[in-house]
Amino acid sequence: MFLINCPFCGEREQSEFKAGGEAHIVRPKQPTELSDDQWAEYLFMRKNIKGIQFERWNHIHGCRKWFNMVRDTSNDEIKAVYKMGEKPPVK
Amino acid sequence: MLNYSNVIENDKSYPGLQMREIKPVMKLIIRGKKRQFLSAVGKSLNLLLPNEANTSSRSDQLTALWLSPDEWMIFSNEILKSDDNNYDVEKLLNKNICKTNLGAVTDVTDQFVLINLKGDKIFDLFETGSPFNFNDFKSKKGLVTQTILTKIDIIVHNQDINNVNLFVRRSFSDHLFSWMNDSASRL
Repeated sequence: MFLINCPFCGEREQSEFKAGGEAHIVRPKQPTELSDDQWAEYLFMRKNIKGIQFERWNHIHGCRKWFNMVRDTSNDEIKAVYKMGEKPPVK
Repeated sequence: MLNYSNVIENDKSYPGLQMREIKPVMKLIIRGKKRQFLSAVGKSLNLLLPNEANTSSRSDQLTALWLSPDEWMIFSNEILKSDDNNYDVEKLLNKNICKTNLGAVTDVTDQFVLINLKGDKIFDLFETGSPFNFNDFKSKKGLVTQTILTKIDIIVHNQDINNVNLFVRRSFSDHLFSWMNDSASRL
């Protein structure tokens, strides 16, 4: 259990949120020109690293807004929280 | 309001806590992002929508609750006399908001149940089943939060000190109310 600082509502408990997978995945501009392998890479392959990961989260039991989070998956430390469309404040 | 066989039939009273459903009360959800949307709603209702997160604003007839940066709930302060689903406020907003493509208006009168709680044990009850930190919330009049109570989505409006409005979806209201009664009897 940990606290997440929703960029809209403020600090709330983790159980109010839903994780939405890896963030900043860009859809290919011309999907028809991709091979099946490239398309599968875009569609299914996700990082699962131990360390800093960029994720999408949804405050599903609150304001129902999506936002991004930088989280260290090894200890659940949240490095930054930022709105959709904004650039990550840490690298 | 439509004619339901209501699940919450009786007012309930415990030491330091009274619970009752308030009906019929008009409830609307309005959504919009543009600046013109905010001014159009303000002019139509004579009520400024709260801009700040987790707050509310109130006029003689209506209260507006902040739900998210582009979503508000508006409900009538008074109990309505008529048993129909036509509201002048909704018609006015439809004309000034929907037809001008500034935002959306949805009638949620029948979707949400409004339970009013009074007494000094309200937040003791909430703390038995909610992950939200009510410490600052309970002393500030007009604050609003959406959170979960016994795994059910609720909207809590701190109307006054020791006087709280709780909105819950109708399908969950039976279970929530019986849970609240059970929990209140053990406080």
